[in-house]
Amino acid sequence: MKSAKSSKKNGHSKKGLSPTGASPRNYGLPLPGVNDEEFGGSLIVIEGMDGSGRSTQISLLTEWLESEGFAVETMGLRRSGLVAKDIDALLAENTITRMTLTLMYATDFYDQLEHRIIPALRSDFVVLADRYFYTLIARAVARGIERDYLNGLYEMAVRPDLTFWLNVRPEVAFEREFRKSHTISYWESGRDLSLSDDLFQSFILYQAKIKNEFESLSERHGFLALDGEASVVSVNTDLRKRIAAHLGIQRTHYRPSAALAHLWR
Amino acid sequence: MTSRPSSAVEQSFSDPVVETPEAPSLRLEPSRKYPGALIVVEGIDGSGKSTQLYLLKRWLEIGGYRLHFTEWNSSPLVKSATRRGKQRRLLTPTTFSLLHAADFADRCERQILPLLHSGYLVLADRYIYTAFARDVARNCSPRWLRNLYRFAPVPDITFYFRAPLDVAVKRIMSGRPKLKYYEAGMDLNLSLDRAESFRIFQGRILAQYDEMIESDKFVVMDGTLPVNSLQKQMRQMVKARIDLARFAPKKSARRAL
Repeated sequence: MKSAKSSKKNGHSKKGLSPTGASPRNYGLPLPGVNDEEFGGSLIVIEGMDGSGRSTQISLLTEWLESEGFAVETMGLRRSGLVAKDIDALLAENTITRMTLTLMYATDFYDQLEHRIIPALRSDFVVLADRYFYTLIARAVARGIERDYLNGLYEMAVRPDLTFWLNVRPEVAFEREFRKSHTISYWESGRDLSLSDDLFQSFILYQAKIKNEFESLSERHGFLALDGEASVVSVNTDLRKRIAAHLGIQRTHYRPSAALAHLWR
Repeated sequence: MTSRPSSAVEQSFSDPVVETPEAPSLRLEPSRKYPGALIVVEGIDGSGKSTQLYLLKRWLEIGGYRLHFTEWNSSPLVKSATRRGKQRRLLTPTTFSLLHAADFADRCERQILPLLHSGYLVLADRYIYTAFARDVARNCSPRWLRNLYRFAPVPDITFYFRAPLDVAVKRIMSGRPKLKYYEAGMDLNLSLDRAESFRIFQGRILAQYDEMIESDKFVVMDGTLPVNSLQKQMRQMVKARIDLARFAPKKSARRAL
């Protein structure tokens, strides 16, 4: 089910599979039973720590793309039908070990990939991912799991067409998150790593580790870094410019509807 | 399949915290840098492996040895997810494999490794080779699977109980009138008939086990031999390969018995 439109999009060359099964759309291996040559669509990832403005931008981009006539599907971490609830329960219990957590998140990721993203791409959707496996790699590396191991684990992931990294200083992210929910999550501050007894310190140290890993991920995977501390309007303008070029949208003017007007600042 | 590469995580349980912001992840060998020992039984359903491991366990228990018994797929951790996935037939070869790996990781990090570090003899009814055989039979990539389980300690002995497909299938079918969907490999569309699908699926698994005999140094056991003679072979092999004295009851404890 290859749409006519997908062939004109950049990045999706129609070369045959290499002997190992690597294709321009995966990281070395295809998923069993999936021929990734056969789908079009576009996968656009937005990465960044909590408080970097990811979800705000995804709401705005969804509305903009729909107004331009594109069908949009979203994904995020811990949103699979298969194990999202189990991960919530495990995190609440706090007895889970790092390998197990890493593999539960991988299950959650691949379940969404196979049941949500790939079907959407097959139907020529634009998939907006609120975080991708890059965050999972950064978190696991911060807990002492080898990069090679993690790269191998996600070898069958679909390669995004664009990956944006909303970069903010941990101090700013802390402030934004704290203002929003009046607390900071145990896991988002890496408390399981015993970096500091002080919540703020722990958050800063942990996010610094994550950021460090993102620097190298960014180099490896060619992230487009944006200043997440800039205004919502200016970040959104940058995002739309890039995405419009990718999708071949001519006119990028956009004003949010009344429902989303409160985000426009 | 290729031989196992090194372990994925540092196997020290003392302190996983890394001081530097770089968080260098250490590459440690899957060495047996622990005083314990790991004995594993593998084979298709109906090969007789569980009976044999049970008898080995009884022999060691009666002798008073320090041991722990563990089974594949026994942790409550992923039970609800597995059940949900199976009921709604949501599982793909990849998520099926990952859920079992998560389950194994939990057992590995919370039971097997700590026990090996504290000097236990660990007996495992099925181990990572079950995943390799079954998931490759489901078309997962061997390379991906080998990497996935890299954190698992390498067994000291892996007994592979080999029974001809017909014998094994007959044993299973006589004790289990109804085969489950995934158990029969129905997700692979091998046959619409459940019994026939099971047969084909088990045949594929058997072929995968055979592939690993050399690369993973299996001790092949003829599953058609009488139970007691197999058990005799097994005990001899354990005595020859493992210094059982290390796991013997302490002198004072023996006096108390």
